[in-house]
Amino acid sequence: MRFRESYTAGDLLRLPYSSAVDAPAIRLQGVSKAFAGHKAVIDLSLEVGRGSVFGLLGPNGAGKTTTLRMVMDVFAPDAGTVELFGGRASRALLDRVGYMPEERGLYPRMGLEEQLLFFAEAKGTARSVARSRLPVWLDRLELDGKWRSRKLNELSKGMQQKAQFIASVLHDPELLILDEPMAGLDPVAASLMRDVLLELRRRGKTLVLSSHQMETVERLCDAIALVSRGEKLLDGPVAEVKRRYGRNTVVLAYEGDGAFLASLPDVAAVSDFGRYVEIRVGEGGDPQAILQAAAERLRVSRFEIVEPSLHDIFVEQVKGHGEAAA
Amino acid sequence: MRVLPIVRREYLERIRSKAFLIGTLVGPALMAGLMILPSVLMAKQRGKPLRVAVLDESGALKETIEDALRSSTEEGRRRFDVHATADGDANAVRERLKAQVLDGSLDGYLFLPRDALERSVAEYHGKNVSNVMDLGLMDRAVEDALIGVRLRGAGIGDERARDVMRRLDLKTVRLSATGEREDRGGSFFLSMILLMTLYTTVAMWGAALMNGVIEEKANRVVEVVVSSVSPTELFAGKLLGIGAAGLTQFLVWTAFMLALSLYGGAVAILGGLKLPEIQPLVLVLFVVFFLLGYFLYGAMYAAVGAAVNSQQEAQSLVFPVMMPLVFGVMLFPMVLSSPDSGLSVFCSFVPFWTPLLMFLRVTTLTPPSWQVLLSIALTAATVALLNWAAARIYRVGILMYGKRPTFPEIVRWIGRA
Repeated sequence: MRFRESYTAGDLLRLPYSSAVDAPAIRLQGVSKAFAGHKAVIDLSLEVGRGSVFGLLGPNGAGKTTTLRMVMDVFAPDAGTVELFGGRASRALLDRVGYMPEERGLYPRMGLEEQLLFFAEAKGTARSVARSRLPVWLDRLELDGKWRSRKLNELSKGMQQKAQFIASVLHDPELLILDEPMAGLDPVAASLMRDVLLELRRRGKTLVLSSHQMETVERLCDAIALVSRGEKLLDGPVAEVKRRYGRNTVVLAYEGDGAFLASLPDVAAVSDFGRYVEIRVGEGGDPQAILQAAAERLRVSRFEIVEPSLHDIFVEQVKGHGEAAA
Repeated sequence: MRVLPIVRREYLERIRSKAFLIGTLVGPALMAGLMILPSVLMAKQRGKPLRVAVLDESGALKETIEDALRSSTEEGRRRFDVHATADGDANAVRERLKAQVLDGSLDGYLFLPRDALERSVAEYHGKNVSNVMDLGLMDRAVEDALIGVRLRGAGIGDERARDVMRRLDLKTVRLSATGEREDRGGSFFLSMILLMTLYTTVAMWGAALMNGVIEEKANRVVEVVVSSVSPTELFAGKLLGIGAAGLTQFLVWTAFMLALSLYGGAVAILGGLKLPEIQPLVLVLFVVFFLLGYFLYGAMYAAVGAAVNSQQEAQSLVFPVMMPLVFGVMLFPMVLSSPDSGLSVFCSFVPFWTPLLMFLRVTTLTPPSWQVLLSIALTAATVALLNWAAARIYRVGILMYGKRPTFPEIVRWIGRA
């Protein structure tokens, strides 16, 4: 930005640092990106508020990774604008962001400690500062000291994953972008990772996760955006998204043959979870009517009206989108 | 400077590798071997005097010839250990000598036929008849002895005879701006070693750069890195870091050669060896031309690395990159035989060949300094241009996975915004 004699209030809001307090961490406006004719992202707009945990959801090939890469300025969008902390992507702004790409990448023949210090330095953090922070992170992620001087290719997959995570946070970013953070972690490591992410959130960091593991997203995220085939299907705070879908889901556990449930007039869809089914009530349908019909032919052990899970919303939306597109 | 961590990482990764350690330490050993070995071999061949006997059919020449052989020396050392020959029937003696040669107690015998003096003929019978140096010496000694006998027969005294027969000693003196010195082929040998070193190291470090780029791309590390530093910075960092490792190796080698030419000379003289002298200017240019060659070919290697997904894919694209380098080596004989011909001068100004051919000209027949400086300037300009283009190809290529692009596609990347 060129220096001028005077600034209007609007100018000041657009300055990368002065606007830092109120501008969203990420703002995409009408962003599109195509590769060799294939449209990866189409006219995508979304906002990630400061200090929130944002889930970018969608099936494989939906354009999540491409979107995150554009945020990180790895690619430039064909159209639209990408803003970080209220400013166009720049070195100074990107230094405040940590990024863990979906396809993990570390130097296989480089020592663990050496490698992590390198990535922090590449983000402009002094080596000495990074060195002082390193033990805390290694401890927190339960990477034993004996591994510090080991080469990456001597570490197990799970340990490499943890190393990759440390590489993305060692420069202490305000915004952390994690592409599929739980992929490849065993349940113990996944729960550790979830705790660490919640800690970061408590410390006021903004987190963006892309995932198709709905359970993780539901537990961690404040807001989500659901994308499919490059297009945004819905977004907003998790509670609001669920409310939009209404209390139209019934959980039913029973003994007997429940095949007839799907053909009941009030039922829109049935998902079988084995020990119970989730029934989405059709528009204008009455959950009580479903209970009555079920009780006539089955031994019902549980009946509950619940909010739809993100999983259901996800499956239904993506399916609907696929059918509409096909 | 965000380039520094990259440079540091690349540099440390290279110099900590076993290959670097071996190359840097074994290199000088190999070079020393190549420089010293010929002298050592020759000295060894000359090491033991040849055990010979003289069989003279006429009986009149034996003593003269034996004396001549005994007194013939090379660099102050006697070369022939003359064994006495038993008297008796010539054929029987001959058989006995033959047996002695075969059982190894004698290296060979000199047979002078009855008319040796008249026809100036002699035969040497030995197991090994390819030790040219010693046999040449024997040839001269016997020839001189025979001529001496003839001169004495013509009434010319020994003193006069020696005067008349004084031989020519043709010395080759290498002229250069810095002075003149006697040269017995050592400098040719040295320039060949330095040149082959240049050629292999430029190709080697260029390939190291390419493999580094491919590896980073294949490991997907590149995405993490370019989310922190720009692709151009990453490119520059890799080029400089790996170049610095190459330079380190080169400096170790050069220091070694300098030490060898300063102190090794003394050691060599003690051991009776002759080493080629190395001019400091040649060493400086050796390093300069390595750097130019590395940055020139390295840029192209890096561009190839960025365009492909694996080392297998790189093979076909590397060929055109290697071509000029290989072609430059093929021009060695031409430039060597006439370093100042128009064609040689022209070729040494082609930037792709300057690092090899201008250096070759410097080591053989030092060209005017303006030529050296101009060629360096031209190459440096080409290096700048190539690196600019390579950085642009790199920027596009490193995030491009899938089908290997064609050559025209890669060229188009240069123009992409």
